[in-house]
Amino acid sequence: MSDTLNPAATATTSPTRTAVTTRDVLRAARPRGKYATGGLLAAIGSALSTVALMACSAYLITRASEMPPIMYLNMAIVGVRAFALGRAFFRYLDRLFSHEAAFRQLETVRVGLLERLLPIAPAGLARSRRGSLLSTLVSDVDEMQNLGLRVIQPLLTALGVSIVAVVGVAFLSPGAALGLALALILTFALSAWAISVVAARAERSLAPQRATLLDALVDYLGALDVLVAYGAEPAARARVDAADRALTNSLVKRASGTGIAAAAIALFTGVAIAIAMISAIPVLQEGGLSGPGLAVLALVPLAVFEVVANVPLALGAWRQVRSSAERIANATDAERVADVPAEVGLTELVPVADADLLTLSNVAIRHPGATEPALRIDALSIGAGESLLIEGPSGAGKTTLAHALVRFIDYSGSIRLQGVELSDLHPDTVRNEIGLCEQVPYLFDEDIRQNLLFAHDTATDRDLEVILDQVGLGDWMRERGGLSARVGERGALVSGGQAQRLALARALLHEFPVIVLDEPTASVEGDLATALIADLVNAARAHGRTVILISHADVAGDLFDRRLRIEAGALVSAR
Amino acid sequence: MRPLDPRLLRYARSIRVFLAAQTLIGLVTTACVIGFAAVLTRIVTGALDGDSLSVLGPWLGALVGVAAVRALTVWASETLSMRAAGRVKAELRGKILDATRKLGPSWLARRGSISVATLSGRGMDALDDYFAKYLPQLILTALVTPILVVVIWWQDWVSGIVVVVTLPLIPFFMALVGWATQSIQRNQWDTLGKLSRGFVDLLGGLATLKIFGRQHRQADRMRTITADYRRATMKVLRVTFLSGFVLELASSLAVAIVAVGIGLRLVEGNMVLSVGLFVLLLAPEVFLPLRNVGTNFHAAAEGVTASEDAFEILDAAAVLPEGAARAVLASADSATPGIAFVEVRAQHEADAPLAHAPLTATVAPGTLTVLSGPSGVGKSSLVGALLGFTDYVGEITRDGASLRGVPAGERDWLAWSPQRPGLTAGTIAENVTLGDDVPDPETLAWALETAAATDLDPARDLGVAGAGLSGGQAQRVGIARALYRQRRRNCAVLILDEPSSALDHATEDVLVQNLRALAATGVSVLVLSHRQAFLSGADARISLTPVSVSAAETIEVDA
Repeated sequence: MSDTLNPAATATTSPTRTAVTTRDVLRAARPRGKYATGGLLAAIGSALSTVALMACSAYLITRASEMPPIMYLNMAIVGVRAFALGRAFFRYLDRLFSHEAAFRQLETVRVGLLERLLPIAPAGLARSRRGSLLSTLVSDVDEMQNLGLRVIQPLLTALGVSIVAVVGVAFLSPGAALGLALALILTFALSAWAISVVAARAERSLAPQRATLLDALVDYLGALDVLVAYGAEPAARARVDAADRALTNSLVKRASGTGIAAAAIALFTGVAIAIAMISAIPVLQEGGLSGPGLAVLALVPLAVFEVVANVPLALGAWRQVRSSAERIANATDAERVADVPAEVGLTELVPVADADLLTLSNVAIRHPGATEPALRIDALSIGAGESLLIEGPSGAGKTTLAHALVRFIDYSGSIRLQGVELSDLHPDTVRNEIGLCEQVPYLFDEDIRQNLLFAHDTATDRDLEVILDQVGLGDWMRERGGLSARVGERGALVSGGQAQRLALARALLHEFPVIVLDEPTASVEGDLATALIADLVNAARAHGRTVILISHADVAGDLFDRRLRIEAGALVSAR
Repeated sequence: MRPLDPRLLRYARSIRVFLAAQTLIGLVTTACVIGFAAVLTRIVTGALDGDSLSVLGPWLGALVGVAAVRALTVWASETLSMRAAGRVKAELRGKILDATRKLGPSWLARRGSISVATLSGRGMDALDDYFAKYLPQLILTALVTPILVVVIWWQDWVSGIVVVVTLPLIPFFMALVGWATQSIQRNQWDTLGKLSRGFVDLLGGLATLKIFGRQHRQADRMRTITADYRRATMKVLRVTFLSGFVLELASSLAVAIVAVGIGLRLVEGNMVLSVGLFVLLLAPEVFLPLRNVGTNFHAAAEGVTASEDAFEILDAAAVLPEGAARAVLASADSATPGIAFVEVRAQHEADAPLAHAPLTATVAPGTLTVLSGPSGVGKSSLVGALLGFTDYVGEITRDGASLRGVPAGERDWLAWSPQRPGLTAGTIAENVTLGDDVPDPETLAWALETAAATDLDPARDLGVAGAGLSGGQAQRVGIARALYRQRRRNCAVLILDEPSSALDHATEDVLVQNLRALAATGVSVLVLSHRQAFLSGADARISLTPVSVSAAETIEVDA
């Protein structure tokens, strides 16, 4: 924050904290700027060149067959060559500009989505299955680049060329122009029907089927060892195959729809030419139309329909883009978003004199989207440097408390940090004071160094090694080949206990004045857990820091100043 | 990129039927193109010669008829291509999964299960474009183009020469550009993979980043990654589009040269209009399929590159020997009941250093044996060896028979629950009765009760990877699953890897008592744990020592 110097300053930037709508996503994905405009102009230029090349060629050879002096053909010859060059040249520019524009927009879409998710994570995100989330946010965001490339631009180009061609043909024969317009309208209508009714019906089932397939694959590959050991691998495999078949079925049905649209193009090209000839031939024979004129009328529809052939593809692409946008929008959950604290508030913590470090009174905390509170705390006061143990069975609301303390979710009642109400502070400011060590620590697919450094980016390798030694990972790190050893995807190469230690190391490195440890020893072996907790609590005390340790397990010894217990959603004193 | 990877023909046999059907469609298409041009030429020249509409009527009908046939082939080609794409994708997907199974869980952990899932999901879907857009055009190019060239040559050899001279330029430039872009193309797919991994990683770690106040940089980081991606992709596209430009230019100019040439000969009276018009109508059609191949080259390339990644996995699996020979049963006299480890050292990866000292120990029937050892010493690897997933030196026997070479899926006497429970989408009951085609509700209830999981509703629906359960709940479902299997299959051995790490003490005590009771019925129960409740409840204890400490392992057996 820029205004940390002013103690009373309220953060001026409040990132949007609402659920994302489909319209928002589509608006963000629409390419704009000079590249988008340049791309569209070049596309129209290329399409018009195609039509003009055909018209010029038809005129040239028919006129030539009347054997006029060659000078009457010069213009047509130049035209044929120029339009041939122009078509290729404009097409190249079109693709270059419009892709640049689409990729630039993709940047905006990705970053915009991330900026919207960040303030509401983790509580405001829809509870999606992991596979679906992967499918949604990676491929659907990629799909957004097609809005400009495959939807807007081809449609505008086809429309522009159709209008110019109909008007142009009308100068030669109003009847042929009417026929062309009629054939074009029928093509547009039939394509729209085939794409938005026939293909759309299949398309609707496509997204869930893709997600089902990916879910089945993630489940199969993620639990392969268990499935093999339990002889359940064939059944899981059958689930993958069934999902695969269902998906293929829908894809074929959709292809049938797009096939009808493409067939309409082929059919109406013939119809347009037939109508043009029926209306133009009598005029020709009455002398109202020249021979070359007739040839132009016969051949121009071929070129126009070549351009219009992109319309069904564009309509199909539009459906895909729109459903991807819907799925991106659904990644956020409006009801849950309401329970996420706003990213506003005082950016500087000004302690009230003589106030306790943390004071909770009449606090009620509920899960996001729930109506009843999961945890009530009538009164609790924690002094600076104190170490506190909160015990309670699984599901008693311990993690809810941890999430409220770091402002992932809101609370009612009062929680004061050094006399200042947490809800008056900017959540970032709160999180700079209170650090959470998660129950399931997230490790990034990087090396050990990167997984520690992001907590404290000026730390030296020596600092990191000292911390790793403190959490009992020093030898492990050296055996793995040092700080550059990778931890694997989602920490796959690190055992449960080691992941917890790394998470503890991060929390220590960041030097939070208050550290909330949510079940830090859940997967750390018993004999080391006691020593680890002792190391942590002692180190924290030496720095005058405060530790709130949440655990279902009994923690032995006299490390803690106080022991409290959560029972049936309420905080009670220790046994 | 090769036009048609021979490995695709080898690994996906269903592609052959598709190729045959597309060839038939290609021939009909060629007939339509020639017919349409001939009929249209007849109409225009007829009209110029003064034929009335009544004379030309049947020809106009023929024109619409040919267009209708063409429409039919277009539709058939679309549906057929997608059906073929579906078959081939299913075949490749199946083969990737087969190969993954063969290569085993430790290979999968190294390769990353999400990346294999992405490859077999989205990666294979990229083949849709290859089949729907690229291959049909490739076949048309092979059929339409040569036939039309012959027809043009036969009608007007001068135009024939122009076409024949320009045509080879296109594959020549395509090959040149394709050769130049191949490595860039490859990098781009890697970049895309890295980017999607980065994006997923970022989304998964949002909460962690917020805790450390690092979320503000992430938008910038994403912007940088995406901008890098754009630059990398544009670099490829500039060259790829250049090949499109060359195709477009060559075909446009060839048509222009043909048109101008015909015009000049017409004006000199060296040609009749009917031939000129016919050739002019056919000329662009010669280049059209080739141009379409060029246009769809990029779309197809992504699928081809993905399929190359798939082939890598398939090739890696292909060199592995088929299921090793079955071990010979040791003689009955020397048989030790239960599991016996003799000088065993488990290796997590083929060339990884051995973490623990050789282990010699037994897990006797009727006992609760607890295996302990420092974090990372290789306890789970040892279980992996027992399960058949991990390589080991030394000898592991069950009732005297060596376990070496027995496939992982054929260890019916074993029930196991891993440290990470590995739950899947479905109900809790479905997870617990995994691998049982006819689930038994009584055993299910018993298993949940014995695993101290009576608070969990068996009908509750879980998400992918068991989403929706807390760590402790998932752990108990995993234990119940192992117990269910043990009872249903009457397994002699039950192995639980860190079963109580997320449980509270009261629950843990219940679990220990239940497992002791189960062991008392004659089952060998092996638990990997450091928890006091288990250590004091054990009938026997094995400790695994790091290789650096001592070569001698300690075995303590309590009374």
